[in-house]
Amino acid sequence: MLSHLPDALALLFSLEGILVLIFGTILGIVLGAMPGIGSTVAVAIVLPFTLTMGQSSAILLLLAVYAGSVYGGSISAILINTPGTPQSAATCLDGYPMAQRGDAGLALGWATVASVIGGLVSAVVLVFAAPYLAAFALNFGPIETFALILLGMTCIVSVSTGSVIKGLLAGMIGIFLSTVGGDPIIGEFRFTYDIWQLYSGFNLLAVVIGVFALSEVFVRASAKPTGVSELVDFRGVILPKLSAWRGRLRNLGKSVVIGNVIGVLPGTGAATAAFISYAEGRRSSPNKEAFGTGEPDGIVSSEAANNAVTGGALVPTMALGIPGDAITAVMLATLTLHGITPGPRLVEENPTLIAAIFAGFFLINLLLLPLGLLLSRVAAPILRMREGFMMTAIVILCALGIYFVRGNPFDLIVMGVAGVVGFLLRRQGIPMAPLVIGMVLGPTLELTLRQGLILKDGNFFAFFESPIALVLAIVSLVALALPLVRAVLASRAAQ
Amino acid sequence: MGAFTREPVLVQLGVLAIGCALYLSTLGQTFSDVGSAHSPMFFPRIVLSLWIGLAGLALVQSLRTTDGQSRPHSLLRLAILVLAVVIYSNLITTYGFFLCSVGLALVVLPIFGIRHPAIVGVYALAVPGSLVALFNHGLGMPLPTSPFTYLF
Repeated sequence: MLSHLPDALALLFSLEGILVLIFGTILGIVLGAMPGIGSTVAVAIVLPFTLTMGQSSAILLLLAVYAGSVYGGSISAILINTPGTPQSAATCLDGYPMAQRGDAGLALGWATVASVIGGLVSAVVLVFAAPYLAAFALNFGPIETFALILLGMTCIVSVSTGSVIKGLLAGMIGIFLSTVGGDPIIGEFRFTYDIWQLYSGFNLLAVVIGVFALSEVFVRASAKPTGVSELVDFRGVILPKLSAWRGRLRNLGKSVVIGNVIGVLPGTGAATAAFISYAEGRRSSPNKEAFGTGEPDGIVSSEAANNAVTGGALVPTMALGIPGDAITAVMLATLTLHGITPGPRLVEENPTLIAAIFAGFFLINLLLLPLGLLLSRVAAPILRMREGFMMTAIVILCALGIYFVRGNPFDLIVMGVAGVVGFLLRRQGIPMAPLVIGMVLGPTLELTLRQGLILKDGNFFAFFESPIALVLAIVSLVALALPLVRAVLASRAAQ
Repeated sequence: MGAFTREPVLVQLGVLAIGCALYLSTLGQTFSDVGSAHSPMFFPRIVLSLWIGLAGLALVQSLRTTDGQSRPHSLLRLAILVLAVVIYSNLITTYGFFLCSVGLALVVLPIFGIRHPAIVGVYALAVPGSLVALFNHGLGMPLPTSPFTYLF
């Protein structure tokens, strides 16, 4: 990996590379600060515009938007008590009370420094952990890869918000959608019903944008209109003094570790990390009584953990081709659109690209500090923008982005239908992340299952002769059983 | 009978019916395969079987749950928006990006409570106009134009 660093740095420090990093981080901070847009919608909106870029620039732009949006979410959490992204919800608990006291600048200062440190440490973890995991995964054949993808799917649906059944159902719908079009082994068309536009399958991007971005517009339209949010007094970010960190470094370190560990686990997500870290910070803090009233440790716990998740989530994504959440699933889709096959061989086959991504991710987190300080003031008035302007722009940008992918009118129709279906399913508590992850992982799942069965003469139980596959299958079963056991225990406790 | 008219039950019934219809469509098809894992329908049938099973369980869950689901604030607003987006995505390549986007903005902005004619008009012209100027004439990445003029 290190031998490819010079080439990677040459890519990063080209004019295009620098512009992509700066522009992406700015865009991420601004989009993340807008309540309700969130990291997934931000990444989905930007994705189509990456298609005209080179591989490394495209992925770096999405990474910059991702990392920037996670930080940007803290701006609205602190200034208007509305998290821009779900992962910043825990930041509201202490950030807004601190802002109400007249210390909005200082609250954002704590959030900025904690975010940058969380992100930087997670970048280091990514650089060191991903290549080792990828090297181990090189031993995987079709059977082990099938078991690995199955594990990824079960982990993701087992931690789906709400009902496990609905999470699994969404995953199945996603996998089914990935089977439409040409069969991967004998090439015959399936589920096309003489519609020639379906011969190449559903456009993943049209579905992603439909179910995340467009359905969000419908969700907003179905809710009661909200007025313009009131801003607290804010005159720019104030960084906390070094002496103020005394006694807080332990909490910071613990939050970063929690964020990284949770980030690596597929499907857990930054919001969970932020709340677990906040709860742990509160439990172990000498100022636990002050939590919820504007305690800096509360902001640090939440922001360090949610930014540390970003790098952690990229470890299984880059090393194994298993997306940790909807955002990393969208990133894997981008790799596919750029002709790169995600999976265990990704690091081995694209060392320069991966080195550029890792080094770029480190730089993005460094950029968060100056850009965060500068943009917080600019982003604050945007928080008062009326929802209608934002929603109209989202619909127009979605259509524009989808048109640029292949210039195919059918993709626009797919996007519209996906938006309506996504809205209806979301209203029933069916999560959309497993659907997208199913669509991304479906083709590999099918191919490896069928290849494995053909190799083993149709004997499915022969799959478990491989020790790696056996261990992965057991872990998958445990991952599936855990939420059921938790539900049973909870109902017994309630009785 | 009343339970079957609730939105969650209707949607879950729809999901179950689609799963069943898709599964039925896999039967009776002939492919040039030698059976089992070679069959193009081998994997989809497994997935659709799980889909049907899970949709059935989700339907039972919905029937047993009596919690009232919050109704959309205004069904009319939502219906108009959905219709506008579906029409927009269908017509954009026929009547061009600019004209369709102007029309969409004129419908969507009032739905979200922005009704001042000047603000709506300026926004509806400025946003699509600036995007057309940027992409068609700045970046050289042409958006679909209308049958009336090559400019937009």
